[in-house]
Amino acid sequence: MSILAFFFIVVSLLSFVAAQLVLKRAMEVSATSGLRNSRFLSLIAIGTALMTVSFFLTLGLLQRFDLSYLYPFQGLSVIFITLTAAVVLKEKLSLRLIVGAVLISAGIVLVSMS
Amino acid sequence: MQNRPSGFGNPWLQLGLSVACVLVSEFLLKRGATQVAVPDSAFSWTGINGLASPLVWWAILLIIASFISWLYVLRYIPLTIAFPLSRVVDILVPLGCWIFLGESISPLRWCGIALVIIGLALVAKPIAQIEERL
Repeated sequence: MSILAFFFIVVSLLSFVAAQLVLKRAMEVSATSGLRNSRFLSLIAIGTALMTVSFFLTLGLLQRFDLSYLYPFQGLSVIFITLTAAVVLKEKLSLRLIVGAVLISAGIVLVSMS
Repeated sequence: MQNRPSGFGNPWLQLGLSVACVLVSEFLLKRGATQVAVPDSAFSWTGINGLASPLVWWAILLIIASFISWLYVLRYIPLTIAFPLSRVVDILVPLGCWIFLGESISPLRWCGIALVIIGLALVAKPIAQIEERL
């Protein structure tokens, strides 16, 4: 794997994780202050933009690598999102959830490597 | 957390719909991206040339549908639970290839699928507690 490929894989993963956090925050805002407020709309716009960046980078990667090769990296997103949601969004995290997230990630990596 | 709507508005149903749309879109994207691949061009790293494939556009429609369902899910379910559960798609893709395309699944791959299922079961357990609070 070239450094360039690694760079695009990391950026695609990071923008995907960030998008999920921003979108979750947007929906939390919408639950309290409705859909027609500038905070909600700007969060949705940022989240959608990050999602779009991640989408096109993934499309570029898919043209070069097998889906099975790229999948382990997507699998890691489970661990990243679970941990960052706990830290950034202050969601409750139990040992059970951590073990579950690690097993899902490990399973996805195994599935794609085999 | 708000009162959970029932019927079509049930967030768990929407999570399932979102997963189904992602599942189909993954196959469409891979096929579409391969059809129009131009690996020599530096521009194609952006993936934008993938838009030349109609399959990619169908995939985009499904992704938008799954996105709307997903936003709805996020309104009701914590990310630490909803996101790991949404990755059930990662074992449905190989299982779909096995069932519908007759591809074989190696023992190692079955182990991976088993790990994901155990992980999903662990993550899904707190749902019972959330439901109780509602």
